[in-house]
Amino acid sequence: MMLSGPSTSPDRFGTLILGVSEVSRLICDLLDDTHLHQIWVRGEVTNYKNHASGHRYFSLSERSGRNTAVINCVMWRTSASGLRFTPRDGMDVLAWGSVEVYEPHGRYQLIVREMLPAGAGERHLMVERWKQELDAEGLFAPERKRPLPAFPHRIGVVTSPTGAALKDILSVISRRYPTEVILSPTTVQGEGAHTEIAEAIRRVDGLVDVIIVGRGGGSFEDLFPFNHPDVVRAVAGCATPVISAVGHEVDTALCDFAADLRTPTPSAAAERAVPERREVLRELCGYEERMGALLLHHLCAARSEVEDLRERMHPRRLVRRLHERMQHLADHEELLRRAALARVQRERFALAEARADLVGRNPLAVLDRGYCIVESEGKIARSAGDLGPGDHVVLRMKDGRCRAVVEEITYDRDL
Amino acid sequence: MTETFEEMLEELRKIVRRLEDGDTNLEESIAIYERGALLVKQCEDLLGAAEMKLTELGRDR
Repeated sequence: MMLSGPSTSPDRFGTLILGVSEVSRLICDLLDDTHLHQIWVRGEVTNYKNHASGHRYFSLSERSGRNTAVINCVMWRTSASGLRFTPRDGMDVLAWGSVEVYEPHGRYQLIVREMLPAGAGERHLMVERWKQELDAEGLFAPERKRPLPAFPHRIGVVTSPTGAALKDILSVISRRYPTEVILSPTTVQGEGAHTEIAEAIRRVDGLVDVIIVGRGGGSFEDLFPFNHPDVVRAVAGCATPVISAVGHEVDTALCDFAADLRTPTPSAAAERAVPERREVLRELCGYEERMGALLLHHLCAARSEVEDLRERMHPRRLVRRLHERMQHLADHEELLRRAALARVQRERFALAEARADLVGRNPLAVLDRGYCIVESEGKIARSAGDLGPGDHVVLRMKDGRCRAVVEEITYDRDL
Repeated sequence: MTETFEEMLEELRKIVRRLEDGDTNLEESIAIYERGALLVKQCEDLLGAAEMKLTELGRDR
């Protein structure tokens, strides 16, 4: 253990002697307790000093009977810049922070990170508690969020009839997309405002296409009713989509979380509630032009198709087709003629051949070589047996006929 | 007029898509074009009428 200062070992009498830093370390360790960290402390501000450096030094004290308890506090300038009020001696406050030891001065102090006047502080804590409860009920669930209608007919506005919020909303709607606005008037701050707001929301629900719930900027106190569970539940329970616009830019209220859409200002809410009419008109105009161009295109296509068909049906084309066919026919005719000629030629050759053949086989040709043919009673006698003695026969010779009578029949051999 | 502005605008968008589609025949194209032109007019009338409504509201207030 590396420590400066006196020895940390027992002295010669056996007494344990601690160094200052060791004691300081022990104190630090003791104070390093969850009970002393990130705690809310309520007390009265005393000895409040706003140092030139921006850091705030003060004490929180509490008197009970004759006893007074005091805790030294410091609020660094980074934390102090978030203060929403100016603390003064005697103020009842709620401070949030951790107890730490400042070793060089040997003192403990509450390092304050956040501080609120006691009343507001309590409300602040209440809002945190409500937030957890309502969140646990599922009222802030993202899947509950519904889309807004693109072209609302009627817009419900839940706000003060005299506030700037209403003026802003009406101005935006009349400029962007004039449509019917139904105001559901309510007070938006003070005691009981939350009940009125919740009722105003329920009254207009179902009569309109979208509801804007909101008010202009104000203090935490002013916006407080919009944190109330009555208002949050009324928003969550709406059948109509709800746009929340509470306060200005950085302000948030619990009803923002329950709404279908959260917007930073009433004007922004109005802008989200309605489309820009000029854009819609431009879109319509675009459609009209586009439809015209497309129809024209269809018509042109149809016309050119008709033209094309007409051209194809033209007599000139038909005559040409006819001529083509006639030429075709003539070609075939010629082919046919040639084929027929060739055939006749072939037949002629065949005939000549046959004739030659026939001539070669002429039975009368033998007569030229000295043979004769014997006919009896108009028939050719082929055998001696065909004839008998005394038969009248005709002998056909090469150059004429002789009539003769058979004298005798002799056979070359016995039959 | 029973249709809402939103429905009319949606139908109009469909008509433009169908006109863009080459499969739509000519007669159909002409018919839906006529329908589309009517829708454009009705939409414009609606937006125009809304303007007059606001003027009246402004005077009452």
